[in-house]
Amino acid sequence: MPASARSGPAALEVEDVSVSYGKFVAVESVTFSVAAGECVAVIGPNGHGKSSMVTAVAGLVRRGGAVRVFGETLPAGSPGAAVRAGLVLVPERRHLYPELTTRDNIMLGSYSRTRRLRARQAWEDVSGVIDMFPELARLLDQKAGTLSGGQQQMVALARGMAAGPRVLLLDEPCLGLAEAVARRVYDWLGQMTQTDMTIVLVEENPVHALLVADRALRMYKGLVDQPGVAA
Amino acid sequence: MSEFLNLLAAGLTSGAIYGIFGACLAVWFRVCNVLNLAVGDFAMIGAIGAAQLVQIAGLPFGAGIVIVLAAAGLIAWVFDRVVLHIAFDRGAGAHGIVSVFFYTFGLSLVLEGAARAVFGTQVYGAPAIWAGPALAIADFHVQRAGILVIALAIVSGLVLWAYLRFTVSGRAASACGESVLGSRIVGIDSARFRRRIFIVTAMLAALFGIVESPLSGFTYMSGPTLSLIGVVAAGFASFRRPGRAVAAGLVIGVAEAMLGGYVSTSYNDVLLYAILFGIIILRPEVLGLGPEPA
Repeated sequence: MPASARSGPAALEVEDVSVSYGKFVAVESVTFSVAAGECVAVIGPNGHGKSSMVTAVAGLVRRGGAVRVFGETLPAGSPGAAVRAGLVLVPERRHLYPELTTRDNIMLGSYSRTRRLRARQAWEDVSGVIDMFPELARLLDQKAGTLSGGQQQMVALARGMAAGPRVLLLDEPCLGLAEAVARRVYDWLGQMTQTDMTIVLVEENPVHALLVADRALRMYKGLVDQPGVAA
Repeated sequence: MSEFLNLLAAGLTSGAIYGIFGACLAVWFRVCNVLNLAVGDFAMIGAIGAAQLVQIAGLPFGAGIVIVLAAAGLIAWVFDRVVLHIAFDRGAGAHGIVSVFFYTFGLSLVLEGAARAVFGTQVYGAPAIWAGPALAIADFHVQRAGILVIALAIVSGLVLWAYLRFTVSGRAASACGESVLGSRIVGIDSARFRRRIFIVTAMLAALFGIVESPLSGFTYMSGPTLSLIGVVAAGFASFRRPGRAVAAGLVIGVAEAMLGGYVSTSYNDVLLYAILFGIIILRPEVLGLGPEPA
């Protein structure tokens, strides 16, 4: 869907968000918003604050500024509140649980709403996610740490989808993957952009990103210096 | 036959001690990758505290148990808030191998010193929960406290195993030990799991101290020995499987008793470590210590 068609309320509003590690300022007063159903790419060279920005938006690192999801202001440093509001991060390098099975990795994506259930009940709640990643069906009882890089990335995406996201943050989803595997990830992402899912895609490679994104923001030295490159 | 049964009962009792401390260590290590080297000191606090409250202060036994368990839980909570929270959640402390044992080793030393200052060097034993003479069938004798010790170990192992295996919360606890960031991403509060399981295992160890102390008695120095045998039992369970730690503890206890009864007690420790080394070298996958995945 073209960006012009996304004229609804903002799904994600990021306002004056800053991140510092000691005296080093990684992200400086970043402000942007993403309309419901829009796919926005955040591009730029490595080490210029893209990942710090999305992890701060997801509540994983301390930040200044404000983040709102469909008008709901998220408390800083509370990833649980972000997930409950529908803001879900699929992180760079995946961060799976290698000694747990593929099934458990995916199931725990739904932790914020199934934490009081038995594991079997929780799996029934999220097992439909496998329809999006059919190759994982035969790997459900295998430890995640024994999967290939591409399979692990699929598990990370499935875990993110099991959380029931309204806004999905994808941080370098193709990092370290072979070109053929990266293409499959982007095929899936292309399908997601046809739904009402709101997506923020962090990607070093602008060619990859602009295949699926409605528009792109460029981050350089912690700042958004080009706030609306059209795809 | 009666000699065999008596050795079996003695072995199961000592094995239950291995097992329960192994289970406490394994479940907490699974959550936060830290060895609780103070777990035996919580048992010491339970045993000596209950003895003091009941036999010297004159409190009813039930009230003494409740107060001691609450005290153990409170000490664990304070330690988590004052030390572990700063070290792990705020990233202020040393990481790596130092964090695996250093903080709880320090807690062990503090508890031992405090117990010596408060309780002195005497041997204490809490009153027996199930009082009476040893149960006897022909020449087979078993202490009532021993039966409680075995039962507590088995029930604790089963409960922890079922929690980890069948509940979402248990899987989330395991995920914390696998990846803190990965668990936070899905809304799992890894610090809360670390704190809760530390408190629960501290209280469980204190209860075990109360139950076991009529058999062996406790001094202020009893803690480190119990923690050490817990480490060994947890080692047989890859430091992560509390149910298996209890089972391993029971098997080790029986093997030791049989060796002591039929050969010589001199070889008990040799047997224990020979089995552990043999498994680590020849069948590491039994302990979950196989080669790293590619």
